Amino acid sequence: MKINRKLFPYVLTLPALLVCVGILIPFFTAVYYSLQRYNLKMPHMKGFIWFDNYVNIFTDPSFWNTIKVSLTYTFFTIIIELLLGLGIALLLAKRNWLNNTLGVLLVLPLMIAPALASLIWRLLINPNFGVVNYLLSFIGLDGFTWASHPNTVLFTLIMVDVWVFTPFIMILLLAGLRSLPRQPFEAAELDGVPEYYKFFRITLPMLFPFILTASLFRLLESIQQFDIIYALSQGGPGESSMVFQVSAYLQTFQYTNIGKAAAMMVVLWAICYFLCHVFVQQWHKLKIKTKGELLQ
Amino acid sequence: MSYLTLENLSKSFKDDKVISNLNAKIDKGEFFVVFGPSGSGKTVLLRLLSGIMLLDNGEIEMNSQVINEFQPEERDISMAFQNFALYPHMKAYDNIASPLRANNKNIPDDEIDQKVKEVASLLKIEHVLTQFPKELSNGQKQRTSLARSLISKPSVVLLDDPLRNVDAKIRFEMRLELPRVLKEFNTTVIYVTQDFREAMALGDKIAVLYDGKFNDIDTPKNIYLNPSSLTTAKLFGDPTINNFTASVKKEGNLLFVDADGEKFKLKRKTNIQDCRCIVGIRPEDIILSNEPSDESIEVEFRTKTPLNLRIVFLVKLKSGLELLCSMTEEESRLINENNKLYISFLDERSYFFDVETKRNLE
Amino acid sequence: MTINIWSILKFFAYVAIIMFFLFPIAWVFNMSFMTNDEILRKVPALFYEPTLKNYVALWEGELAIEGFATMYIFFKQNLINSAILSVGSVSVTLLLGVPAAYAFARYKFKGGEDIAFTLLSFRFAPALLIILPLNLYFSKIGLYDSYFALIWVYQLITLPLLLWIVRGYFEDISPDIEYAYRLDGHSWFQSFWRISIPLAKPGIAAASLLCFIYAWNNFVFALILGSSQIQPVTVGALAFITASAIPYGLIACGIVVSVLPTLILALFIQKYLVQGLSLGAIKG
Repeated sequence: MKINRKLFPYVLTLPALLVCVGILIPFFTAVYYSLQRYNLKMPHMKGFIWFDNYVNIFTDPSFWNTIKVSLTYTFFTIIIELLLGLGIALLLAKRNWLNNTLGVLLVLPLMIAPALASLIWRLLINPNFGVVNYLLSFIGLDGFTWASHPNTVLFTLIMVDVWVFTPFIMILLLAGLRSLPRQPFEAAELDGVPEYYKFFRITLPMLFPFILTASLFRLLESIQQFDIIYALSQGGPGESSMVFQVSAYLQTFQYTNIGKAAAMMVVLWAICYFLCHVFVQQWHKLKIKTKGELLQ
Repeated sequence: MSYLTLENLSKSFKDDKVISNLNAKIDKGEFFVVFGPSGSGKTVLLRLLSGIMLLDNGEIEMNSQVINEFQPEERDISMAFQNFALYPHMKAYDNIASPLRANNKNIPDDEIDQKVKEVASLLKIEHVLTQFPKELSNGQKQRTSLARSLISKPSVVLLDDPLRNVDAKIRFEMRLELPRVLKEFNTTVIYVTQDFREAMALGDKIAVLYDGKFNDIDTPKNIYLNPSSLTTAKLFGDPTINNFTASVKKEGNLLFVDADGEKFKLKRKTNIQDCRCIVGIRPEDIILSNEPSDESIEVEFRTKTPLNLRIVFLVKLKSGLELLCSMTEEESRLINENNKLYISFLDERSYFFDVETKRNLE
Repeated sequence: MTINIWSILKFFAYVAIIMFFLFPIAWVFNMSFMTNDEILRKVPALFYEPTLKNYVALWEGELAIEGFATMYIFFKQNLINSAILSVGSVSVTLLLGVPAAYAFARYKFKGGEDIAFTLLSFRFAPALLIILPLNLYFSKIGLYDSYFALIWVYQLITLPLLLWIVRGYFEDISPDIEYAYRLDGHSWFQSFWRISIPLAKPGIAAASLLCFIYAWNNFVFALILGSSQIQPVTVGALAFITASAIPYGLIACGIVVSVLPTLILALFIQKYLVQGLSLGAIKG
């Protein structure tokens, strides 16, 4: 059998492409659902209602609450993870026995399923026997409410997210730091440039592509975070930790309101698409700037 | 009837016409050297012949069969790559045996073994057969790659500048050894190089590739003595041929040359008409001496430098025209550049090219 | 001798980092060897008699608690499900992804980059957007609650990952090596199988392990698209912790067993982790 050479690459990609199509169909279906009155409990009321679901969610204060909670969660996780990740990367940048070992060990939280990470922390902060509570009592913090109180639940969730994903930022920035060319630093040392100046004028700008890549990945994951929150608080208490995907999940399985859930997901998708677009543009600019030396 | 016929081959990449209307006829068993400057499309040509790349236009006919659409594995053509392209995860032995193990050959293992050892001993690499490519020296890699391309006795062997990536000593050895080895296999060889000495030392025929086509196809001697154009003449020679524009007047066997005020005579049997043209004289065809002779011209010394076991002098004529002349080291020792210097020209060793087209006028 | 304030700060930074990131894992590991009584002490026990009871119970599926009836534990099935789903997903991904990765690396073809990027973008689409409709489809065509359906959906995360990592490895192989093999008289498939794949093997292996980790760690797909019959450890452990009367030591033990495979695999792919986690954007 002879396959035309021009067609051959398509033949190789076809299987993967079919999976593609299998995914694209549900995507369009979801968009279609979002334009319908569609509640599993009331199948006979199914019908096309254009943008009513969207009007509905945007006039619903609890959806605004969801947006607020999601953005708060995203903002704090990224800021904390970036600063902490950068700090640790700088601390471990020098190659020695301790740093190399820590570099390996610190990746472990990242390799744990986020849902399981939540469970680990649930065991550690359990009000009856949690070892963290015990340790905190030494510094006078007794009876911290963790996930059981609306005021502290977001803090708890962000902490778990930070625990899981700081290593992600750390490992990328560490790779970045260790791949930076030596010459600018040597030149700066010869000139007797102070440390802080070296950091802000040489290290940080050269590390920027790595920071941007890491942030992009984290941003898109954080705003969609489901596992950690579902496994720890399920959006509660009340709606104090209700983020996009948890809200859509409950909308589907508790209230069986498929139309509304789909509309929420389409809004989330639009946000992700927008963010991704902005970032990729920045990324391209940077790539041109660095002539693809740092990012291939 | 030639064995391999290339007819109007063309290949472009986007707007870049690398090969355009290239023609050649190659006989069975011929050692056919493709010589051209770097970037002239030599490697592309080999890729077209081997089927790695497909032609835009034209026809490749081998043994009276058009093979344009044949897959690389169906062509019975083998190739030794310039970068060797050895399989890094296989030992030298398995690299060499690879063509024999290809499908539908069904050669028994002991026969493969015997053949691998034969070709390895011919190329003097028996002692490295159990090593991986990364453990081999460049010279050994190159021999392994040659062995691989020869072992299945293909109808045509393509050698892509095989001596380019080895050091000078090995290059010299191989230049002597290659014809002997290739003769054993009695195969048609297409050999690509950008070293004109290599081309002249090895080729039964040389095809000179530039501007996307073969501009000369002839024996080494004929191309050297009668290049089709100034470009070809410039390619064959190091240092390159001296050339200058001059008016030429013919009187019997003598040519009176007037190069912007510099007048001299050349002894040359030729059929060219009186005209203004480009005169070419190879540096090795100019005799430099401290003693004046009948037709000699006085020159001024500028500089000298060794090049490829020869010494090259740059001298200046009264009119300001500068010429290169080269000679062996012994000859150069007889010359004292602080004394007066004279040049004269060898008989019958000058060329005349059209000013516009640069074509050879003869 | 002067003590540098920086080195003191540095020392505390190291301690704090180790405490925050590694202590939780160590402690849960520790808990998994404790009985419920030991865990429930007001002051956490540092010295206690470690017991393998929890592990035995998890494996045998039943636990006798004094004064209570025997308790049945179904966590082993979750572990088996996780293994089936992860190995299945990785196998399918290899089958689909390696040829596609090769095509993207080797050929410039119309729409090639678009397809590659579309596949990549799945990694960043909200999971629920895709699984909610899929859930309804699967129910209709009877695929709900099947390994097959889950493995298919898992391709959403594993396929782009493998594609983008392995693509880079194929790009690093000189095409001449493949051509040389073709000219030796081998077909395209033979050169792919005996030259390209073996040479990209480190990348393929690392990508597969990373895919395995991602598949193993997935939570949301199985939560929505499967019943408890086929759910992996991530979902199973959540049910485990919310069910009443299960000893905490046993829960800890379940978590330890669930995270151990990925932690161990992670140690094997250290070298390839940066490249893998950034989908090839950063070469570590």
